[in-house]
Amino acid sequence: MTADASPIISVRGLVKHFPVRSRGVVRRRIGDVHAVCGVDFDIFSHETLGLVGESGCGKTTTGRLLLNLLPATAGSVLFEGRDIVPLSRAQMRPVRREMQIVFQDPYASLDPRMTVNEIIAEPLRIHGLYARDKVRDLLQMVGLSPEHGNRYAHEFSGGQRQRIGVARALALRPKVLVLDEPVSALDVSIQAGVVNLLEDLQDELGLSYLFISHDLSVVRHIADRVAVMYLGRIVETAPVEDLFRNAAHPYTQALISAIPVPDPRKERSRRRILLSGDVPSPVVPPSGCRFRTRCPKFADRLSDDERQKCTTEIPALTARGVGHETACHFAEALTLI
Amino acid sequence: MTALLEVDDLTVAFPTEDGVVQAVRGVSYQVNRGDAVGIVGESGSGKSVTSMAVMGLLPRSARITGSIRLMGEELLGRSDAEMSKIRGSKVAMIFQDPLTSLNPVYTVGTQIAEAVLAHKDVPKSRAMKRAVELLDIVGIPNPSLRVNSYPHELSGGMRQRIVIAIAMANDPDLIIADEPTTALDVTVQAQVLEALEAARKATGAALVLITHDLGVIAGHTDRVNVMYAGKLVETGSVDEIFYEPRMPYTLGLLGSLPRIDESGRPRLIPITGSPPSLLNLPSGCPFLPRCPKARDRCAEVEPELTATTNPRHLAACHFHTELATATAEEVFA
Repeated sequence: MTADASPIISVRGLVKHFPVRSRGVVRRRIGDVHAVCGVDFDIFSHETLGLVGESGCGKTTTGRLLLNLLPATAGSVLFEGRDIVPLSRAQMRPVRREMQIVFQDPYASLDPRMTVNEIIAEPLRIHGLYARDKVRDLLQMVGLSPEHGNRYAHEFSGGQRQRIGVARALALRPKVLVLDEPVSALDVSIQAGVVNLLEDLQDELGLSYLFISHDLSVVRHIADRVAVMYLGRIVETAPVEDLFRNAAHPYTQALISAIPVPDPRKERSRRRILLSGDVPSPVVPPSGCRFRTRCPKFADRLSDDERQKCTTEIPALTARGVGHETACHFAEALTLI
Repeated sequence: MTALLEVDDLTVAFPTEDGVVQAVRGVSYQVNRGDAVGIVGESGSGKSVTSMAVMGLLPRSARITGSIRLMGEELLGRSDAEMSKIRGSKVAMIFQDPLTSLNPVYTVGTQIAEAVLAHKDVPKSRAMKRAVELLDIVGIPNPSLRVNSYPHELSGGMRQRIVIAIAMANDPDLIIADEPTTALDVTVQAQVLEALEAARKATGAALVLITHDLGVIAGHTDRVNVMYAGKLVETGSVDEIFYEPRMPYTLGLLGSLPRIDESGRPRLIPITGSPPSLLNLPSGCPFLPRCPKARDRCAEVEPELTATTNPRHLAACHFHTELATATAEEVFA
């Protein structure tokens, strides 16, 4: 990691609203789903940024916006200093060589009518870079043998399919890889192999990862820095060790305390922070701090004046240490593991 | 004292066009009153099928042999009508997806009351009152209002708590939960597991918890059964399984987990290969192709569950004594 260099990706004020339409013929726009609301982060070269949060928090949308697969409502995504949000499809094409994505579901993301060779060769062909050797090398790089190339996706197990997805994403030698829940659909014993592969490839090829996941254990393992999202906003971001040791946002704390640890003695003695209620609708997000409706601190420990602040003022990400930022008016570090 | 549930040499086979799938191959285990037993295994290891057999919910095409006794009474071979009396009253089940286990056109209160009325002759108003009590136990806020909600108005975590309320409606002796939190986010999972604990406390029911999540197993069970390729490959107390595993597969599973409680970046230790097809299993140990410790004997004889240091801690490995002090790194590296 070279912290002093300029980031390879720099996201500023990223916003994405999806229209909610009325039923019937006219389908008037009756509101917006505030999927991503003013997200800022940087990814440095050779670094893994973990983006965590629960379903519906906007982490996948953020990944798609990063690749310009979805048009952003506002904000900018700078790739090596150049804003890619306003680029047309044609202008995006050379940039696509540099940024690729691996999807969650290895069963849905591979075309069942193409052989593995064809799947991996497709991006090479589109960019006019096809060579048979390259496909063979890619297969080897992800731990498959060249003979596998003539088979179809359905002949492989989930872990192997995910390897094929990684090979396809690496075909153009990108610098940045968006990994959207790449191991969530896999059994644990298989998951470990794919995680190791991703780590090896990063070392070998100097890749930068945006690792999107709901699984904090995997993120702790693979990420250098972590950003925690809640309802479209980043609520905390920190170097991985710092986040897990000194989580300061009440949501991060609840998230960490909720992860079951595969260790019976620790598990029996652990303190759990239970959240009440459910994630509010992103169509009408709460005013002020979006987490306040479920925040244990807001409910139990704040005075009325302090609550007033949470209800009216949106907490900004403020620094709490080197690279550690928390968006909470009343943040306090807690050690939970 | 007889055990609450005794499963003895259970086999389940499904005839298919390609041949007979041996989904469960001779599984025996016991659940005592009030115990919490975890069943772990990967997809296709037979953990769900075993429990569906207990509930009498397997399709008619399934060929089942062996014995399943609940409080000493044989369940196998009973008619569906007879099983209906047991299901819900003595044994209740919680499935993975709460949306498909609830009926979308009735309010949740009606559905809980229905479960009560199915086994108890009480007036409907009493059953509805009981529904409100149950919702309160599983931690649903404003239970007297929520009884009138329809499933689609509730979130996934709330729906699963409704399912738990239905499961505990008749004070069952045993609750079988099949991946009850797999579809849920972690903070919601914590809420649902809390509700499940509350339900157990209120009813004193024993629990069979089926999951692939070893963290959930560690926190919520007393005994653990590890399944692989349709067989139990290790069984013991939760501490024995996590701290002294004696079967390479268990060791491998534990070694392949990324841990939230460990800093630094120890490399994960994957188990190579993938689970065998249950269509035509080769002779010998089913874990052999993935086992770094495999020897000739493993290909010849399939190991049976045998006692390790403790008669209640059993492992199906010919060489389990060698694993006494082994770590996953040593075995799989």
